[in-house]
Amino acid sequence: MTLSTSNVDVDHAQRIQHERRMPGDAGRPLSQSRGVMRTARITSTALMSLWFALPFLPLVLWSFANSWSAPDLLPMTLGADGLTAALANGAVAAFGDSLLLSLIVAAIATPVGAMAARALSRRTLPFGRLVSVLLFSPVLLPPFAAVLGINVVLLRAWVPPELGVILVLVVVAIPYTTFSMRVAYAAYDDGFDEAARTLGATSRFALWRIHLPLIAPALARSAFLAFLVGWSDYLVTLVVGGGQLITLPLIIASSASGIGNESSVAVLSLSAVIPPLILLAFVSRARNLNPGKQS
Amino acid sequence: MTPTPTAAAPTAAEPVAAEAAPSAITLTGVTKTYSAASPAALQGVNLDILPGTSTAIVGPSGSGKSTILRIIAGLEDANGGRVRLAGRDVTALLPEERGIAMVFQRPLLFPHLTVLDNVAFADRAAGLSRAQARDHAREHLELVHMAEFGGRSPHSLSGGQQQRVAVARALAAKPSVLLLDEPFSALDPGLKDDMHAMIAEIRQAVNPTILFVTHDRDEASAMAERIVVLENGQLLQHDTVDHVFHRPASLAVARLLGGKNAFAGTIENGVHHSALGDVALDGDVASGPATLVFRHEAVTSTLRQPTSGADADALATRHADAAACQRFGPRELHGVVTSTVQRGPRREIIVRVVDADVHTEAAPGHPLSVGDLVTVSLPCEALWAVPAS
Repeated sequence: MTLSTSNVDVDHAQRIQHERRMPGDAGRPLSQSRGVMRTARITSTALMSLWFALPFLPLVLWSFANSWSAPDLLPMTLGADGLTAALANGAVAAFGDSLLLSLIVAAIATPVGAMAARALSRRTLPFGRLVSVLLFSPVLLPPFAAVLGINVVLLRAWVPPELGVILVLVVVAIPYTTFSMRVAYAAYDDGFDEAARTLGATSRFALWRIHLPLIAPALARSAFLAFLVGWSDYLVTLVVGGGQLITLPLIIASSASGIGNESSVAVLSLSAVIPPLILLAFVSRARNLNPGKQS
Repeated sequence: MTPTPTAAAPTAAEPVAAEAAPSAITLTGVTKTYSAASPAALQGVNLDILPGTSTAIVGPSGSGKSTILRIIAGLEDANGGRVRLAGRDVTALLPEERGIAMVFQRPLLFPHLTVLDNVAFADRAAGLSRAQARDHAREHLELVHMAEFGGRSPHSLSGGQQQRVAVARALAAKPSVLLLDEPFSALDPGLKDDMHAMIAEIRQAVNPTILFVTHDRDEASAMAERIVVLENGQLLQHDTVDHVFHRPASLAVARLLGGKNAFAGTIENGVHHSALGDVALDGDVASGPATLVFRHEAVTSTLRQPTSGADADALATRHADAAACQRFGPRELHGVVTSTVQRGPRREIIVRVVDADVHTEAAPGHPLSVGDLVTVSLPCEALWAVPAS
């Protein structure tokens, strides 16, 4: 080993040392609360968790309750009546349609949003601000008015209802995918692509081997948002779909409007909650490899 | 070598045409404008770089240094002019078709690849198998003394180590020209010295043509044998390291390279007349307005000996009709120390001579302080006249 390399090692060792706090260092780490603040932090975290988790408790209990009437704290008889009723209502087909619809919406809205965000982040786009406002306008418009208006247009244009639902939901999802990808591109260093090109990579090779791996976590987050737009939609599927497309939210709503369907509504609701939770677990596990702009 | 103010044209000192090898890089009339509102980043730059040489581009921020590199790399398009690499016109080619490699100020190692796969990237892009690419990558990591770090992830390396890998990654592309854009400016001085030594080793081993941008004059002279001086998008001088420091083409070049002594005046019969007094110049210098320049590092101040009683004016008179410096030996000026600045081991002394301030250095072991009477000795070789601006 040469002298120069050992100097490099010393430098790295010193850097690691600097991350340790030594006695006499001024101040204290801002992220470490103590005493009363620590108690308050733990209590508020516990309360927030409870607030998020509590609604699921009756949902889970109802799913397995064959009967549960007012004064009782817990269901009187447990069973699978809810599940049977839900299956009889076409829950499996609705689940499949919901999944397909959401995946199609995510598959279209994510690349479109990514490309729009890339173009907007480069600042060379003419009328960039106007394009931003147009892309975000679906979020600003009252959905009911917009959907009723667009439905007339789609009907007149003889667009098949399934295609119409996809078209409208993609437009609704694009502001979310564009926004989340803009955040990612604001932190993305174009230097990686330039370095790849100067090393002899074609633009396609650089895209697949460098660019996409680096923005993959952001793409996953973006696709998750687009998936949620499709998954949770009720209004567009009902109005534009015109009954041709029966998704999970539609049969939940119709079951919930009836009387005595509590346990089947609970089963359907739980099955609507589980896929996004699984996706969320995957998305949050995606390791962020993009170190951001290097200084 | 004829030191005349008019002999300062960039290539007049050492005609490039005398060498037979085709240039590694040729720029002809390269211009670049980023927007109609801003001044041109490059204004008709002509540049010839010989193969196997190392050339530094120096200049202030915004002078167009990096733009030249980016245009050669194909990362920017020139608005006018041609770029040739080894005689081949590459002006219209994409970066990946030019056979160059570039190292940036930031290491820009691909974070999702290991150190070894970063270095193997160019071979993979060229279509080689993973095994072949990795074999080549190992050789190049050895060249930069990073062989044992191949399996590591880039973010586990220090800044200096990352930049070593970035250099290895660029070399693995087997470029005809290696472009370095302020590659070591983010590193601390000790690490910089290591990097300069590494570049010297690389030049011995694979002898690439190197063109690099730096704002550090010391780095330019440590890594290159030729320096290109750029200001406001114009090439002011392209010459050997020694010449740009001691034989600048213009006052602007002298200033950009840290020259502190410049005295406007006129030359008559080989003697420069200015506020400093009369200073005889060597050689056949043309008469007319000219500015006398010399490096403060080349001029030493020493405590004035009690025996040498003659004052500056008397000496000036003695030299008034002298034709050449050499005949009289070093020109000696007398003055008073007005300020001193310690720069590392060196001590910079400003001496008031008649009506002019002369920047000098204290000779080693001669502690001088403000108010001391000193003798400033100007070696003939240090003196140079540039055209009056």
